[in-house]
Amino acid sequence: MKSKRFEVLSQRPVNQDGYVKEWVEEGFIAMESPQDPKPSLKIEGGRIVELDGKRREDFDLIDTFIANYGIVFDGAQQAMAMDSKDIANMMLTPSVPREEIVKICKSITPAKMLEVVSSMNVVEMMQCMQKMRARRTMANQAHVTNVNDNPVQIAADAAEGALRGFAEEETTVAVARYAPLNAISLLVGSQCGRPGVLTQCSLEEATELELGMRGFTAYAETISVYGTEDVFTDGDDTPWSKGFLASAYASRGLKMRFTSGTGSEVQMGQAEGKSMLYLEIRCLYITKGAGVQGIQNGSVSCIGIPAAVPSGIRAVLAENLVAAMLDLECASSNDQTFSHSDLRRTARTLMQFAPGTDFICSGYSSTPNYDNMFAGSNWDAEDYDDWTVIQRDLKVNGGLIPAREEEVVAVRNKAARALQALFKALGLPPITDQEVEAATYANGSKDMPPRDKVADIKAAQDLLNRGVTGVDFVKGLAKEGHPDVAQSVLNLLKQKISGDYLQTSAIFDRDFNVISAINNRNDYQGVGTGYRVEGEDWERIKDIPNAIDPRDI
Amino acid sequence: MMAEINRDVLRSIILDVLQEMGGVHEAPQFKTNIGESTAPSAAPRHEDPTGDDSWLQTGGPAQPGTSADEVVIAVGPAFGRSQRQTIVGVPHQEVIRQVVAGIEEEGLKARVIRVYRSSDVAAVAVEGDSISGSGVCIGIQSKGTTLIHQRDLQPLSNLELFPQAPLLTAETYRAIGKNAAKYAKGESPTPVPTLNDQMARPKYQALSALLHIKETKHVVKGKPADEVRVTV
Amino acid sequence: MANELEALIRQIVSEIEGAKGNTTQYSAPHTSSTPNTTVVDRVVTIKDYPIAKKHPEWIDLGQGRDLSHITMDNVMAGHITMDDLKISPSILKAQGQIAKAGGRDQIELNFSRAAEMTKVSDKRLLEMYNALRPYRSSKQELLDIASELDGLGAPICANFVREAAENYERRKKLKGDN
Repeated sequence: MKSKRFEVLSQRPVNQDGYVKEWVEEGFIAMESPQDPKPSLKIEGGRIVELDGKRREDFDLIDTFIANYGIVFDGAQQAMAMDSKDIANMMLTPSVPREEIVKICKSITPAKMLEVVSSMNVVEMMQCMQKMRARRTMANQAHVTNVNDNPVQIAADAAEGALRGFAEEETTVAVARYAPLNAISLLVGSQCGRPGVLTQCSLEEATELELGMRGFTAYAETISVYGTEDVFTDGDDTPWSKGFLASAYASRGLKMRFTSGTGSEVQMGQAEGKSMLYLEIRCLYITKGAGVQGIQNGSVSCIGIPAAVPSGIRAVLAENLVAAMLDLECASSNDQTFSHSDLRRTARTLMQFAPGTDFICSGYSSTPNYDNMFAGSNWDAEDYDDWTVIQRDLKVNGGLIPAREEEVVAVRNKAARALQALFKALGLPPITDQEVEAATYANGSKDMPPRDKVADIKAAQDLLNRGVTGVDFVKGLAKEGHPDVAQSVLNLLKQKISGDYLQTSAIFDRDFNVISAINNRNDYQGVGTGYRVEGEDWERIKDIPNAIDPRDI
Repeated sequence: MMAEINRDVLRSIILDVLQEMGGVHEAPQFKTNIGESTAPSAAPRHEDPTGDDSWLQTGGPAQPGTSADEVVIAVGPAFGRSQRQTIVGVPHQEVIRQVVAGIEEEGLKARVIRVYRSSDVAAVAVEGDSISGSGVCIGIQSKGTTLIHQRDLQPLSNLELFPQAPLLTAETYRAIGKNAAKYAKGESPTPVPTLNDQMARPKYQALSALLHIKETKHVVKGKPADEVRVTV
Repeated sequence: MANELEALIRQIVSEIEGAKGNTTQYSAPHTSSTPNTTVVDRVVTIKDYPIAKKHPEWIDLGQGRDLSHITMDNVMAGHITMDDLKISPSILKAQGQIAKAGGRDQIELNFSRAAEMTKVSDKRLLEMYNALRPYRSSKQELLDIASELDGLGAPICANFVREAAENYERRKKLKGDN
């Protein structure tokens, strides 16, 4: 006989997901692996000669880079001598200021850091995240893509996303050569929804920098680092090439963060038998050492790997927390799909949603999931109301605000028209009125008329060959009747001169005032301190369109 | 039911690797039903090391091609040997048959090589395009992940990338061959329609990692690619 | 890392350890010869942030122009190109000091490298980055880039590339090592 109960259970979405038992030798273990190194630090003659049980002569590229740049010597011996649980408890104690914890964390080794976070359960980690997040005010990031790389749809979705509250928007491509058009569409659309939103286009490293230099994007994020030397090499970089690239971005006044995540080394087949979290902590030390202001982490595209093993989602929270402890901006993933189960995907997100991170999702799909070209998102446009209602239920700021249909339709239309005008000004394949109309009311690419992709790709290449830059976008938009959008694009380009948004966790408000960990420092020190959902924020969060006003009855 | 198949497949792969590592001596007996719903082939996932791989003969070191009308197909170190089918069970022989057919439909020639230096799909393709007469190469990992690469591009850039191996069917592989040949002829084809399944990751990512770990065990650092003669 | 200087020292120490050929001593990074190096001599703190609002006068776009020159009218009149929308080495130094004042020493070092890189053209900078990727360059090619950077007055970057060359040699990431 078969159990009817088990038959029902086997049909549940959660049982569509893949699970794997721990496999220590291949690094198929989230954290607390018996093969992880034990903390040690020896400094002789002004240099580290032993790091976490390894002698300098045995250092690989990653060890060397961390030893040369990632650890502050001042106070290191005292910090290393502290009991790891004591460090964790100090962090957990509200009255101990964030700065004091950061000072300790800057001087401990990766294995010591691993010990500190491994001693905590998820509630303790969440409490610590609330305090350790770099920026006082949390924010959110959107993904804006579609299967056809349809530029009009990108512009409209970007505008809607900006209106709904995303502080950053990221696009990528289904076909790499479409990149310049996707970048322009995102830039124009975002500024139509809310001036000051930062935009990026995820691409191969050198290409991504080139688009930034030309003013097609305002920042970059897909600068991946890895925790083993072999995987780093497969990723076609080294800590030095990535460090050089980081400085190259800053030299052009462009904000950037690195990307890493648990499971990437397992996914790429070379985890050296270490736990996913230990390898991720190495990535964070590389980021710190390179002088990069922030990181996108939380397993990101590899989330299916930690999610398949025990304590994997706890490890993902731990890696976000380590980023914050190292005083890095943390864009905490919650982006890519890992589960068929709505319960599981919500539970996973609460870890960052409740305490708040610099960017809770990196990103949240602003389209239906079938259009998400990051291979599907944990949250998508069809979840907008779930997200805003959960914010309202818990009185938590998750970075979004409820939106009215008429406002959304208006900004989508504005964005589609502005892009239509810019395409005309730049001599790109025309955007028809029919496309503008479709994008205004579309949910996804299934609602959009097809475009001539070959012509678009050719035009995209031609655009680069002609040396078109952000200044040409400003001119084109102004000339074709969109002076306000032109002004916003110019304001965004202008930020590269003063470099204020190169500082940790920087975003802009609608008047291009910079908000970063310098002037919006997280000052949480217990009840009644730090960011509180109150005033205008609370009024906006609680104002969902479908709540009945008792006075109307 | 996917979850059940995955478990079996996973077990078999883990056992495979453990066997290779000398950890398990007992030959495991598995009956896998993969293929009933998702895979065009009923070939068992557990590979028989004595099975027929005569369709794929390794020749000497691959030489740079001189004719501009060839497209190189570069396969990973485990392709057709310790692994015989993609993550969803498309037999490797069928993959090659389709890609070659796609290339030949465009009037070009296909040449297959096996890469040893890396199991990374981009690295595999880059080694292929470095010796491709046309400069165009299709890189294929054993789990099925594929991309079209051209010599002047950065390794991690591409002409077209098909990152979601579970969605790649025989028809897709044929279309990929066809488009690669068109690029080799200097044409600008419409990209092969992009497939996107947001639930591929939850279902397949862990399995994909296991397959990749397995292929990576066959990497030989510094060993140049070999010519491969295929019978399709 | 206490400061930029200490980082440099560390870099040099590790260089000496690696190779005996390149033991040139570098003191503090050279100040650039652009017109507005005076900012470097100021003590900049987080009170000076954001610079665009608090110190627009620090921004010198050359030819007596400052941030207020960046207007729609000037764009439409063709007076502004992408070249005018670039950060200067002195502002990068100032932002570095702000980062350091906020307790972020490594960011200051990054911005010091960045300040030097403002002297390298977009095209050449992309080439240098690609040359630093694995298996792209011989040791000599990397050392040549380092010399080129020295010649441009970019000693921190030059040492960074030398350090990479030593480590790539040791860990087999040079051209032909794959």
